[in-house]
Amino acid sequence: MLPLLSIATFLPIAGGLVLMLRRGQSTQAIHAVSIGVTGVTFLLSLAIWAGGIVPGGFAQVEELAWIPAIGASYRLGVDGLNLPLVLLTTVLFFLSAIYSARLKDRAATFVVLMLMLETASLGAFMALDALLFYVFFEVSLVGMYFMIAGWGHEDRQRAALMFFLYTLLGSLPLLLAILGLYLSSGTFDMRVWIDTPPLTGIAAMLALIAMLFTFAIKIPSFPVHTWLPAAHVQAPTVGSVILAGVMLKFGTYGLVRFALQMTPEAFTKAGLVILAFGVFSALYGAFAALAQSDLKKMVAYTSVNHMGYIVMAVAVAALTVDPKMRAVALDGATLQMVSHGLVTGALFFLVGMLYDRTHSREMGDFGGLLGGAPWLGWAFILSAFASLGLPGLAHFPAEFQIFLATLQVQPWAIIAILAIVVTAGLYLRAIARVFLGEANEKWSAMPDLGRREKWVIVPLLVLTILIGIAPATLIDMIHTTMASLSF
Amino acid sequence: MLVLILLAPLLAALVIFALRRAPEVLALFAAALGLLGAAGQMFAVSSGVWSTAVLPFLPDMPIRLVATPLTAILSLVVATVATFVLLYAVGYMRHDPQRVRFFGTMLLFVTAMQGLVLSGDWITLLAAWELIGFASYLLIGFWHDRPGVAAAATRAFLYTRSADLGLYIGAFLLIGVAGTSEISTTLATTGTPALIAGLLLLVAAMGKSAQVPMQDWLQRAMAGPTPVSALLHSATLVAAGAILLIRTAPMLPAGALVVIGIVGGVTAVITGLIALAEKDLKRLLAASTSSQYGLMLVAIGAGAPIAALLHLISHAAIKSSLFIGAGVFQHDRDGTGMESLAGAGRARPGIFAGFALSALALAGIPPLAGFFSKDAVIAATLASPAALWLVPLALAATVLTGAYMGRALRILWAGAAADKTEPAPLMAAGLGALVVLAAVLALSFGPLERLLGVDMAEGGLLAPVLGLSAAISGLVLGWLITPARLLGPIFGFAQRGFVMFGGMDALVARPALAIAAACERLERWLYDLVLGFGRLNLSLGWLAQKIDTKGIDRPIFGLVRRTINTGTRARKLQSGFIHREMALAVIGMAVIVAVLLAAPLYS
Repeated sequence: MLPLLSIATFLPIAGGLVLMLRRGQSTQAIHAVSIGVTGVTFLLSLAIWAGGIVPGGFAQVEELAWIPAIGASYRLGVDGLNLPLVLLTTVLFFLSAIYSARLKDRAATFVVLMLMLETASLGAFMALDALLFYVFFEVSLVGMYFMIAGWGHEDRQRAALMFFLYTLLGSLPLLLAILGLYLSSGTFDMRVWIDTPPLTGIAAMLALIAMLFTFAIKIPSFPVHTWLPAAHVQAPTVGSVILAGVMLKFGTYGLVRFALQMTPEAFTKAGLVILAFGVFSALYGAFAALAQSDLKKMVAYTSVNHMGYIVMAVAVAALTVDPKMRAVALDGATLQMVSHGLVTGALFFLVGMLYDRTHSREMGDFGGLLGGAPWLGWAFILSAFASLGLPGLAHFPAEFQIFLATLQVQPWAIIAILAIVVTAGLYLRAIARVFLGEANEKWSAMPDLGRREKWVIVPLLVLTILIGIAPATLIDMIHTTMASLSF
Repeated sequence: MLVLILLAPLLAALVIFALRRAPEVLALFAAALGLLGAAGQMFAVSSGVWSTAVLPFLPDMPIRLVATPLTAILSLVVATVATFVLLYAVGYMRHDPQRVRFFGTMLLFVTAMQGLVLSGDWITLLAAWELIGFASYLLIGFWHDRPGVAAAATRAFLYTRSADLGLYIGAFLLIGVAGTSEISTTLATTGTPALIAGLLLLVAAMGKSAQVPMQDWLQRAMAGPTPVSALLHSATLVAAGAILLIRTAPMLPAGALVVIGIVGGVTAVITGLIALAEKDLKRLLAASTSSQYGLMLVAIGAGAPIAALLHLISHAAIKSSLFIGAGVFQHDRDGTGMESLAGAGRARPGIFAGFALSALALAGIPPLAGFFSKDAVIAATLASPAALWLVPLALAATVLTGAYMGRALRILWAGAAADKTEPAPLMAAGLGALVVLAAVLALSFGPLERLLGVDMAEGGLLAPVLGLSAAISGLVLGWLITPARLLGPIFGFAQRGFVMFGGMDALVARPALAIAAACERLERWLYDLVLGFGRLNLSLGWLAQKIDTKGIDRPIFGLVRRTINTGTRARKLQSGFIHREMALAVIGMAVIVAVLLAAPLYS
């Protein structure tokens, strides 16, 4: 039996190392390697999916002694929470590699950074050892920092500074929490921490607060979300896609895997506060997005909104004693992570494609683009409707479950559902201003999507529709794990 | 059968989008297949065979389609109207270059609507409900490059979506109480949950069925092509609200019924007044749609959903033929303003006859279908405990119906028929079929009642006499007296659509934008705060450097140096020399990772 998880995790960085060692390759060769490696990684993730999961624990575990003296091992494994995220990661990186196939500016370095980010992301999702998780987590942050600083837009320095500050401050509390958990259990094995949460009482609460701080920044949740719009506006398109599609999920993944599963009692105690933050974030993100006229910034703020729903769902799961509702909430939360990755990924790609053509993201600069660029227009309309939660598209089954569980457990929190009207309003306004109405003469010669761009966007739209009409394949897997959670 | 009804239009839509040719043939073929399926299902159900289809969706919450007498009837209505409207659309859209998109979207709409009427669980209903909203957004916005169209489509979707929150929360509540998403089981809910859910569902229905105060999107939605209006705004999209309440009627407690009846009655009168004051034929018909759906809500509120169903069916045929007739005149005169349509009917006597027959049917003249269904509604209000409220409202609405239809007929007939017209056989065929239905549908009412197992109480002569006299007096008033004189002081108010307190824009849209602006200000403040924090760190670095140059004791020295380093590094980052830093950091990280990974080898 091949160690598929490890191969999938390290194949990208291995490709990156080859590129670093064999300098002076043509840009084309570099991108061929990048597409090839991410493509194979994607196939590997499908093989992992085929390998299946088991209820009540981790499957396909790969373990190697690492630093036995302190109880740290190299451990990878999958369950219904991280496997969907692994699939999402490999899909988005593969498509990002295709998208960036025309990038000429320091292509080798860019590709190496991207491949390093993929390794870091896959490692962070699959790690079953807290120290290993932390290493991957940090590497991903630094990788993203360089991507923004190196290939960002005009005002990247300010954004880079902000990202730097947040990441620096953000990840230290998590390390403290991990050390706390380690000191009371003598191992870094996350499975042990999940099966028998080592901390109780005030210590557990302190660890929880530390973890919440880190993950709230990553998610991002109000009020520590301000790095997100700044970073997105300045980040290159691929950076935005990876950041929003994959890296924000570290936050929600950590919220479930660490905060909820390792300090369940404290989480339940703090549940109402966390729920309130989720509700407020969801509403705030929607309204802040409504105030934007920059398309990319608008999409960035809708992330705050969508991720707010996930925080709500996790809090609801902690607050309920009904195992059925808990499973509904967590199923919804996990599916929402995948849906958000696909849909927001598509939206960032599309905004990027528009920017490539026009060097503008200001809604007011456009008008009537649908006539001249139907592929771009319809892809944006479909993605926008997916993002506002239209049934038949990816967000609906997830948000349906989240709101269903919320109303049963904490009826007041259903107020967050107002946000679905606000997001509908902001997306329809964006569509109307950019794509409908009388065609703006300025862009009459604007070309529609090319072949490469269709290869990027069509798979995302197909997946969005598939999850929308037949979520069963994915959600049955998620449900296997969520229904067997015990805490 | 269930599968055929849904898959025929869906697959045809996909094939149309994929092939991008022959959309008319495919659309008509699919519509005919769907009609065949719906008829077959009706036959099966009437011989006692009910069927269910279950598809996996969420854990323990599958998609469920059911064929019961009620859903089969509604499905047949949708399939019938859709078929004839599409037939008409082939003629209407003959010269439009975007026919592929038009017919594809129309079929998607039909699929979603069939999904709605056949749904057996709340998720399917909710999904179909939102999807018809989406399809109608696309159809209303079909001519998206014309001015005002995008705004109309946006408004239609936003209005209905706001109201949909009622359906969302209502459905969550019912699923939570019953522990299942199956509609038939949740209808056993009683007590406070039933009341709350009923009121929430009413909110959703008010949005879709364009009831006061959420009526104005429907009139603006006339920006779409006329076949769209004929299909969406008469028999399907708008019908969804009434259908929802008819289906959930067994659960609705008395408290909810009273509210439903009053909302319907008020809407019937107010939108009737708006229709009478309207200057555009299509907008008149749209306002009249709200008014007729108001009457259906009155029937539901009076405890007689069967009467609402009958009126829904006859209205479906009547209103689509009226829209189709209006569309023919629109083609002749390049517009639907009342002034430009003067005499348009005289130029096309055949079409006008069909239009007039439908108009009389809507007004409620025997033996046309509208008479019987309206009679059922009025009889229901007479028998209701809230008769005191509902009877006057229903009668007033009936008078108004006669008045605005009388006025429309007068304008179409009275002017000069100047222009020659070219024959429009397909449009006439679609109109003819629907007019025949509008005339003779009443024959089916008896069997329908038996199929549903409801006996309409014989109300005696009072209801028909009241209804008929109201209808005739309305028609006479409308034909003889201009609206301005008829309505007197409220004419101007009605013409502006009874906008109060600045309407929805002032009450909802502007506050939402104000909140958004406040969020944005807070956002700026937070951003500056964090940025200020960052700057503070930098200036600490500078400060430390200054202190250092003046000479400070050794114990502080180390700390100072570190701070300087931070500052310098940050400065370097800002100086743009990033490549070197980056390369160094990547190498550094690689080393750290390598050391960590190699730990087993040396420990």
